[in-house]
Amino acid sequence: MKLKLFLLLAAILLLASPIWAADAANNPAPTNWKPVGAAIGMAIASGLCGLGQGRAVAGATEAMARNPGALNGIRGALILGLVLIESLALYTLVIIYTI
Amino acid sequence: MPEHDLWLTAIFNHFIPGIALWIQNMVGIKVEDPAHPWANWAVMELLVFAFMLVLFPILRARLSVENPGVFQQTFEVFHQFLYSQTEEAGIHHPSPYIPFFGTLFIFVLFAGLLGLIPTFEAPTMRPMVPCGCAIATFLFYNLAGVREHGLGKYLLHFAGPMPWLAPLMIPIEFISHLARPLSLTIRLFANMYAGEQVTMAFLGLTYFILPAVFMGLHVFVVFLQAYIFALLAMIYVGGAVAHPD
Repeated sequence: MKLKLFLLLAAILLLASPIWAADAANNPAPTNWKPVGAAIGMAIASGLCGLGQGRAVAGATEAMARNPGALNGIRGALILGLVLIESLALYTLVIIYTI
Repeated sequence: MPEHDLWLTAIFNHFIPGIALWIQNMVGIKVEDPAHPWANWAVMELLVFAFMLVLFPILRARLSVENPGVFQQTFEVFHQFLYSQTEEAGIHHPSPYIPFFGTLFIFVLFAGLLGLIPTFEAPTMRPMVPCGCAIATFLFYNLAGVREHGLGKYLLHFAGPMPWLAPLMIPIEFISHLARPLSLTIRLFANMYAGEQVTMAFLGLTYFILPAVFMGLHVFVVFLQAYIFALLAMIYVGGAVAHPD
């Protein structure tokens, strides 16, 4: 039942396709995909970087809680790991500025 | 579009353009704009260099065993920090290598902090300056490895732990060693450049004073990036001089 409703809705929406003909007559230039690709790429890179850094901080804080004596060593490893993950997101930013 | 000269760069371009033209002609670089041979980043880098050149002799002159001043004690803390970090990175006799790591840290730190002063620009904001630091680090850790092991034995380390793994390990090690200066360059350059771009973006969006918050965050980022550059240099040297035991 839901599938039939969905297909009906899709058919009605596709019925409106002549709208693209009107746009092409006034605006023959192709869409510029560079900013779109840059935005999507940067969003994916930042999101995954956030996930990775979250896991790093979670592991580090749990380790610090379990072994407070190793605080300095864990803090050093945490900072190093966070910066290396951050640099992966920054590589995407550099590509955006050079392409 | 030619970049706008900072006031210091304009002074250099006005009074001593000949030095920059001579250097670029001697090395073979084509000068795009003979009226402005000094680039902003070159002048800023020379400024950081001149600052360090003045700072360390003043420190040296004020060293005293019985009566250390604040300057000496600050740098003693800094030296102790470098020593402990180098030992943690796996180098058992850190003393020959600390001057390099210390200079690298101080240079990257002051270069980044220079960008926060209003009419100056961070030289590490252009890719050339971090590339120079990264190539210097690359040469340093390879030469440290060669000095420790000898040229033949150091190159043999690229073959991995077992001889039959060599055809697989050598390309992997080669590419990963080439990726090291690249990642050092891009990490430092992108962080400094992004700091500037964030300030510019928020300057266009809202009140004049709001970017000061982001510049405060940028101070922390500058310290962190300087520390990471030096730490990675220590790790690379540690990997190069390590004795398998």
